[in-house]
Amino acid sequence: MKHSFTFLFMALFMFLGLNSYAQNTPIKGKVTDAATGETLIGVSVTIKGTTNGTQTDVNGAFSINAPANATLVFTYVGYASQEKPAAQPLDVKMVAQARELQQVVVIGYGTQRKRDVTGSIGNVSGAQLAKQPVQTPTQALQGKVSGVQVLSSGQPNSSPQVRIRGTGSILGGANPLYVVDGVLTNDIRNINNNDILSIDVLKDASAAIYGVRGANGVIIITTKKGKKGPPVIAYDANFGFREAANTIKMVNRDQYLGYETDVNPSALAANAPPLTFPGTTNWYDEVLRKGFTMNHNISLSGGGDNNTYFVSASYLDDQGITKTNDFSRFTLRANNDVNITSKLKFTEQLSLTRSVENPISASSIFGNVYRAAPIVIGQDANGLYGNTSAWGNVGNPLVQLDKANNYTGANRVQGNVALDYDILKSLKFHTAFNVDGVWDNQRNYLYKFGADAGTFTTGGGNQRQDNSSLFIQQDNAYNYNWDNTLTYDKRFDKHHVTVLGGYTSEKFRYSYINGTRLNVPPISDQWYLDLGDPSLSTAIANNGDKYTRQSLIARANYDYGGKYLISGSFRRDGSSKFSEKWGNFYTVGAGWVISEEDFMKDQKIFNYLKLRGSYGQLGNDNIPSSLYIVTATSNLPYYYSGQLTEGTAIQQIKDPNLHWEITDQLDLGFEYAVLNNRLTGEVDYYKKKVKDALIQVPLPAILGSSDAVYTTNAASFQNSGWEFGLKWSDKIGKDFSYYAGANFSINNNKLTGLNGGQYLTGGGINGQYVTRTDNGQPIASYYVLNAIGVFQNQAEVSAAPPNNLGEANHVGGLRYADTNGDGKIDANDRIYAGSYQPKYYGGFNFGFTYTSFDLGADFYYNWGNKIYNGNRNARADLRDNIESEFADARFTTSRPSTSDPNVITSNTPPSTYFIESGAFLRLNNLTLGYTFPTDMVKKVGIAKVRVFLTSQNLFTITGYKGISPELIPPTTPTTNGLVNVVSSAGILGSGIDQSVYPVVRTFSFGVNVQF
Amino acid sequence: MKKIFNIKFVTLGIVITLVAVSINACKNYLDVAPQGQITADQIASDPAQAANLVTGIYNIFYAGGFDPDVESFQYVIMTDIASDDADKGSTPTDYGDALQIDNLQTTPSNGTINNVWRGYYQGIARANQAIGVLQNAQFDAATKNRLLGEAQFLRAWFYFNMVRFFGGVPLLDHVPTAAEANDSKYQTRASVDDIYKLIISDLDFAVANLPLKGATDVGRATQGAAQALEAKVYLYRKDYQKAYDLSQAVIASGKYSLVKDYSLIWRENAVNGDGGINNAESIFEIQAGINQDCTSGPNLYTVSQGPRAGGKFGWSDLGFGFNNPSTSLINEYEANDVRKTGTIIFITPTGTRLFDGFRIPSQDSVQNSTYSYKAYHSRTQERNCSGNTDHLPKQLRILRYGEVLLIHAEAAFQLGKVGDATTDIGMLRTRAGLPAMPAAGINLASIWHEHRMEMAEEHDRFFDLVRQDAVQPGRAAAAFTAHGKTWSSTYALFPIPQQQIDLSGNRLTQNPGY
Repeated sequence: MKHSFTFLFMALFMFLGLNSYAQNTPIKGKVTDAATGETLIGVSVTIKGTTNGTQTDVNGAFSINAPANATLVFTYVGYASQEKPAAQPLDVKMVAQARELQQVVVIGYGTQRKRDVTGSIGNVSGAQLAKQPVQTPTQALQGKVSGVQVLSSGQPNSSPQVRIRGTGSILGGANPLYVVDGVLTNDIRNINNNDILSIDVLKDASAAIYGVRGANGVIIITTKKGKKGPPVIAYDANFGFREAANTIKMVNRDQYLGYETDVNPSALAANAPPLTFPGTTNWYDEVLRKGFTMNHNISLSGGGDNNTYFVSASYLDDQGITKTNDFSRFTLRANNDVNITSKLKFTEQLSLTRSVENPISASSIFGNVYRAAPIVIGQDANGLYGNTSAWGNVGNPLVQLDKANNYTGANRVQGNVALDYDILKSLKFHTAFNVDGVWDNQRNYLYKFGADAGTFTTGGGNQRQDNSSLFIQQDNAYNYNWDNTLTYDKRFDKHHVTVLGGYTSEKFRYSYINGTRLNVPPISDQWYLDLGDPSLSTAIANNGDKYTRQSLIARANYDYGGKYLISGSFRRDGSSKFSEKWGNFYTVGAGWVISEEDFMKDQKIFNYLKLRGSYGQLGNDNIPSSLYIVTATSNLPYYYSGQLTEGTAIQQIKDPNLHWEITDQLDLGFEYAVLNNRLTGEVDYYKKKVKDALIQVPLPAILGSSDAVYTTNAASFQNSGWEFGLKWSDKIGKDFSYYAGANFSINNNKLTGLNGGQYLTGGGINGQYVTRTDNGQPIASYYVLNAIGVFQNQAEVSAAPPNNLGEANHVGGLRYADTNGDGKIDANDRIYAGSYQPKYYGGFNFGFTYTSFDLGADFYYNWGNKIYNGNRNARADLRDNIESEFADARFTTSRPSTSDPNVITSNTPPSTYFIESGAFLRLNNLTLGYTFPTDMVKKVGIAKVRVFLTSQNLFTITGYKGISPELIPPTTPTTNGLVNVVSSAGILGSGIDQSVYPVVRTFSFGVNVQF
Repeated sequence: MKKIFNIKFVTLGIVITLVAVSINACKNYLDVAPQGQITADQIASDPAQAANLVTGIYNIFYAGGFDPDVESFQYVIMTDIASDDADKGSTPTDYGDALQIDNLQTTPSNGTINNVWRGYYQGIARANQAIGVLQNAQFDAATKNRLLGEAQFLRAWFYFNMVRFFGGVPLLDHVPTAAEANDSKYQTRASVDDIYKLIISDLDFAVANLPLKGATDVGRATQGAAQALEAKVYLYRKDYQKAYDLSQAVIASGKYSLVKDYSLIWRENAVNGDGGINNAESIFEIQAGINQDCTSGPNLYTVSQGPRAGGKFGWSDLGFGFNNPSTSLINEYEANDVRKTGTIIFITPTGTRLFDGFRIPSQDSVQNSTYSYKAYHSRTQERNCSGNTDHLPKQLRILRYGEVLLIHAEAAFQLGKVGDATTDIGMLRTRAGLPAMPAAGINLASIWHEHRMEMAEEHDRFFDLVRQDAVQPGRAAAAFTAHGKTWSSTYALFPIPQQQIDLSGNRLTQNPGY
């Protein structure tokens, strides 16, 4: 702990060592924004015709020594310059030209003007998020910020997957850190989009201020606060419906029977007639529906001289597009500031979320929907189900839905209380106690039913539930972090120095308890474990988790005349997850605002031009606790003389020297404003190198490890790329204003080392892996046989090298390239065939306001990636349903095909045949609004009324044949946002399309009212 | 002014002190022990835990299914399906790995051999863990030696199966330290002789230290079990004298006798005191039961071999339909041999009623035409865990008295003691409802015939056929010809799993012919 003292004293001396000096007989004044009244910091004030000048301070005030007849010139980036005669007092109101550059961005434990920032930080305003009818702010971020890739699912309450500048980790979790008003979390599904003021994304090494949690980037969310003034009541609501944006066209009855007759004649010959019915079942239609959705928000905000307040309530109801799948969420928020004295401020930001969900086992359901035979009905008029299973097919997915009743009710409290004390005018102390707690109840009930005529139109098969079963789980997670910072902020002459020092500590605790009982009555009021049969299985489980972190943080920013910018930050992090607990992380950055230079004064092209660069080292410790300690597996049952005895085994092999992943990141960029500030843009180049990345190294079985893997820091990989952002806004005439924006990102991901270890594999289909992660290749590259056609006749089969991987060569079967030319087709003939990670992605948007109408459209796109159509490849049985497109294309003796085989079986090995382009373009959001004339609404006491029609995902243009090119692995939803669910299977198996929840399209009507 | 300044510095001082104190007060803030888990260090220092580690070895018998496997589905594939006693079963194309093994086309990348390799080494590692901790544990000598004897008996059984499957394999007789783990001493194959040396020394210790049946808990390894296993090991080593002596010791102990009704040997419930679990004939048997998690039985053992719906379907079937007794096996039964219907479920055109009254529908609704009766576990009359079928509590008979008689008979015959052999074979044939003396008299062929009939579907045939082939070359080729397959000496050993060769950095060498 010696270091902490040294640091604190050093910081203290730094504060004291700095002295300010001022000029005599000054002209004093204040500069504010003409539109908002906000004070403007750092406005350059010069005496015309001289180089003498100063800048406004944090309160927008300035003081300058000038002759009585002098003219003062006020210049500020993004604002029109003004000239004023030197007179006392001088209040200057400046008119903004490019708001973009005036934005204040949140940089972690502080804020900075975007123009002074040396790092790459994306920023999205809350208004842009709130206008989209989506559940999570993350989903609304899609396509908004360059370098940020968001993938989301249509499943209610699912957590989108976010990659900032590529996949930065395999095992440590590749999602970014979220910081909500200072609360560090992995899950922001509790946040109401309407409560958000802005989102800032730390993309480069500036995230090092979050040290061991910053490597995947940081998304900082700031919620709204009240503004000084009379109370404002705002009501925002939308109502609409959701539907599946796309489903797969499967075969009809005749096509299916034709296919079965061809490939599975014996089964069809033995088919019991009562199973079938004359029509064609479209199983997607059977399980999907139009889901009603609505969202209401009401907020009250305002403030007096000594306080501000913002209180909001919202209710979101989302009927899932799958039958029985519902979600609703109620949130309350109270953000208050109170100035206790002129130097002491109290802040409180608290949110309470209650969500209720009826989840479904999406991956199982949609797997079966895809495979269920169209000759069996879903359900008849008497409520009896078609018996797909008796036809040797999958279980009837409608039965799966109807015979289960799942419920999860979750409560979450998130927020903080904070005190700010101005020790000196330029030295502020901030302490905040942040909490995040989740308490949830999960209840899954499975109804009893038999594979008989009581449930099905005809008995048989193995879809049955012999005993009803009730599963109850309660989770309890609690996390706090306590932040203490000292900030020194001083301007003197043209110098501006900000120094931050602080200490934080964090503790996480989690526990769950669950139990299962059988034969609980099928009445929801009786769904308690006590009503189960005590003589049957009564499993109880209870366990938990705990970890702590401790950190020292420091940052210094210096700018000279708004022209030369230097910054650096340092964080020393301690984490309980490793035996070597402490690590150091840092960043340094520099910027040069070229447009402020004298030699740029005369040019007319650039209104603003900045070059910047940063370099730093970040970490990632997002792995399960105690992964370095060998623990025993206890309660292994065995029986002596019929008595149950619990045994123990030690079957792990652990790396005692496990440590965090290390990411070195370089960023170079420039920002500009041209054409009279109407066009602003940003270009970045980055290179992110991850070393000591955690992977699971396979172990020889002789060591007896039960999972046969060893988690260690062995891999390294790299993401490098370019990001481009452009924004244009202008007005034509009085009534027409318009804007357009675009961003474009290029990312190149590759594994650069495995420390002599073996490649990693992922994604199993038909007993073989699909992806391989090896040197020089992107993470999770498909590594499969190269399908080069279809065998047309026996002569071709006889002449071809024998296939030792999966099915034998046959007429109508896929033909594979003998890549290594050894005269046989086997695992050694596989080739790399792309990955799901897009090479290019981004978004663009445009919109206009004409008189009272407004229209806006947001697009999202990616290309240069591939999807593995796993649904098609993973065949459990010849009775599995097939796609209509495949039925028409497949090889038959009467209609030979050179590209599509006659049948795909459970022995068909993964090959390039199943790889398709993952490129797509989507209209994420289209909104048309109308604002009622102010005169009209004022008469009824309303300040503003706007109505709008909006659609989320109106269309997607893609060549992909599956249900959606946007794939995140289906998850069993967990409302427990605090628990890390780290799955390497997810990352190493990415892009393999198997049983995903359909992507949704939303249409809704909404209203915004302000009183 | 001065006063205010002081207040500011006092405040600053307080803040710094507070922060500093909070850092120091939480000196151990970052030392967080694993939650809800016992650490390996805690176990090593607790003698009570040493006994739990031995129970942990027995528990490996429940491993299996499609995962690392010791005595379950994958083991059945490599013993019965691999042999001429059974066909793969299920649908023709189901489970390519099993199909390869059935067709004598096993490749090094076969998943089944890798699962068995992994399962057995997990068992060996558990035994080594227990032995390591026991040696330093504070116990009374008798308890300590008994527990060590059990661990060494189990380790011997694991290595005996490994050496029979793969030949020489890496020899680990203790838990390697981190420094040793990558040592070529462990990453390469030991010789077959060295593996047998360890097996015999483990069994010698077990024979000397284990109590007799009845003097210890039912289910734990006994002296009789160790003697029976060691007799079997010596039979494989062609050391007939020792095989004879040890099997004789089991017989002479008077602790075991034949179950009267052959079909009751593998049942759960005794009928009129005959048969059932842990019956008079049982020498070493996997124990199973009902626990809360329904995990107390070999994973998928029964359900993988259960009758499977096919054709017209229309019934709730009993399993995946693997391991179908072969025509070659059926053809070898003498007329009236009760072991035929005690071993095989025959699916008939008119439906099949099992001993518990369960009716399997007619052949046109069933996938295969024969199934193993020994693997059957009644859903109505035998225990199950709340309907769970994966871990049905089937108690596999690993060593039984009938097999000891066969070992004794063969060893006796090889030593010229034809009288002993005649007695042993006579006991078995009488029980089978056959004349005591085989038509061809007592010779090697008739003893081996009896061996096959007695032990069919008990996961012994493949090993035994390879053993017989070593005694009398040509046995295996003839047997597989009758089974419709072509034998080559390569198949006497399975290939070393390619994955394990890769993981050893190619230090494991492949068996010849693969």
